[in-house]
Amino acid sequence: MSTTTPSRQAAAPATDLGPPPPTRPLRSWGDRLLRVWGLVVLVFLFAPIVVVVVYSFNDGRLLIAWDEFGLAPYRAMLERPAIRSAVTVSLQVAVLSSLLATFLGTMAGVALARRPGRWTYWFIGLLLLVSVTPEIVDAVSLLPWVVFLGSDAGLTAFNNGIVRLVVGHSLFSTAVVSYIVRARLVGLDESLEEASGDLYATPLRTFRRITVPLAMPAVLAGYLLSFTLSLDNTIVSAFVQVSGSTPWPVYVLSALRSGLRPEIAATSTVMLVLTLAALGLVALVLRRSGDSATDIARTMGGG
Amino acid sequence: MPEASPHAPAVRLRVPRFALALPAWAWLVSFFVVPIATIVWFSFGYKPGLFGTHANDVLSLDRYREALSPTFFTTFQNTLWVGLAGTGLCLLIGMPTAYWMAVKAPPNRRGLLVALVMVPYWTNFLVRTIGWQVILAPQGWFSELLQALHLTGGPLEILYTRTAVLIGVVYNYLPLMILPLFVAFDRVGGPLREASKDLGAGRWRTFTRVTLPLARPGVIAGTVLVFIPLMGDYVTATVLGGARGNMVGQLVASQFQTAQNWALGSAMAVVLILVIAATVAVIAALAWVVSVPIRARHRLVLEEVA
Repeated sequence: MSTTTPSRQAAAPATDLGPPPPTRPLRSWGDRLLRVWGLVVLVFLFAPIVVVVVYSFNDGRLLIAWDEFGLAPYRAMLERPAIRSAVTVSLQVAVLSSLLATFLGTMAGVALARRPGRWTYWFIGLLLLVSVTPEIVDAVSLLPWVVFLGSDAGLTAFNNGIVRLVVGHSLFSTAVVSYIVRARLVGLDESLEEASGDLYATPLRTFRRITVPLAMPAVLAGYLLSFTLSLDNTIVSAFVQVSGSTPWPVYVLSALRSGLRPEIAATSTVMLVLTLAALGLVALVLRRSGDSATDIARTMGGG
Repeated sequence: MPEASPHAPAVRLRVPRFALALPAWAWLVSFFVVPIATIVWFSFGYKPGLFGTHANDVLSLDRYREALSPTFFTTFQNTLWVGLAGTGLCLLIGMPTAYWMAVKAPPNRRGLLVALVMVPYWTNFLVRTIGWQVILAPQGWFSELLQALHLTGGPLEILYTRTAVLIGVVYNYLPLMILPLFVAFDRVGGPLREASKDLGAGRWRTFTRVTLPLARPGVIAGTVLVFIPLMGDYVTATVLGGARGNMVGQLVASQFQTAQNWALGSAMAVVLILVIAATVAVIAALAWVVSVPIRARHRLVLEEVA
């Protein structure tokens, strides 16, 4: 990711259009097979999502047993207070934790790109460690820690369910935002910041007026990715949550034991639409700032 | 850099270069490094009584012995099996797909294809897995379809077995394999493949000798990205595995949630991390050993032409 240079920016439109496709007389069998394979894999990837969306219109009592088409699950979704509160908690936590992760990650990403030194290796090592540690290990280690901070250390804020969830969700996201912001700034020349310094701007002003606007597409993408990651977070949430502020995925997980009802599919469908809207926005922002499909894939795959 | 600027003010606050990264560093240390260190510390302790969760006044390695006792060892074996098989299947399924997306698909469709692969990746993990529960249910439509086509004798009996877990993890982690592979294949670029063909190599030879070696970073990234979270998987195994498809993730979780034995759970978590690290190291070593003779055979020494 460190090999990106400004020339890539200039070359991007050209590669997007590409040279005129060479006229191929016949596709070989291998090519056809590859294409069928690719399409089958896409069907495989979408099968369960389509199933959940279809079953969200199941008027039966249990999700798995299809009864008849109807909108009852959507009505039930709006009426059940437990679902409403779970979704509200999830949205609150997502907004707060992604703001926090974006704040921490943006500064870290700027430092990584603009102030590299021996410390960079240590810090990137830490970020890598955060992103490769299995989530279950994160979860079980965070639980005793927040309990300790809340009761023994007397930091009562950590007895608050929202605070615990925000802390838990912000860790991985901070790493992701750092990668994205760093990758964007490394690809941009530092000359604008130098010019700003030459024109007597203080470092703070340069940071605020030049560096942050340059990094903005990455910051926004990082924010929205953190948001969806937080909405998605199940394992850490299941461990650190306090009863009374159960986030949506944990509610679903506990519903698994008592039997899944179609409302869950209905709510999931609504959340899916929300997530897709957020992701569409990310892709749009990245494309506007001149990234190719490959760059977008890299950014959204977490660097 | 501002430091090099001739107009820099004479008196400047000297801030260390990593100052901006300091908040993130502090945050990650206090909520990631310290908790993990605590877990490691707990793993040397024991469960003091019925109501205690952990105690560390006597330190020993007994919890590790317990974690590796036959009861739990089978779970570790099972997890490793699912991890290796799942990663292998992801690679087998993902590589042709990524190659097709990056090389064979029309260039103007590539963005769309990448988006299509990313949509499942960013939809709720739990919900996707529940989708599989619906599909694989013995009374579900898929089971009935298979019976109507006389492909199976009776209802589908996959749910709550290791096979279901394997399907679930392959499904859940496949995008993590496809995306880095796509990026890697896309990087290789058409001109190099054309050059290979112009020099007389066939399709297969071009793929194995040019495209694949150049895409190696993507293969490594994809394998690691899939294998590590897969080994720690908890949700897929819980939704699709039932009691029989046990994974270490569930074991660790139950020690913390139901058994309230934090010492043993911590030891299991530490063992899990060690197993993951060791397996990655072994696979890397194997890959290196295998690549040595291949590289030696294909080495080309350019003679100096006088």
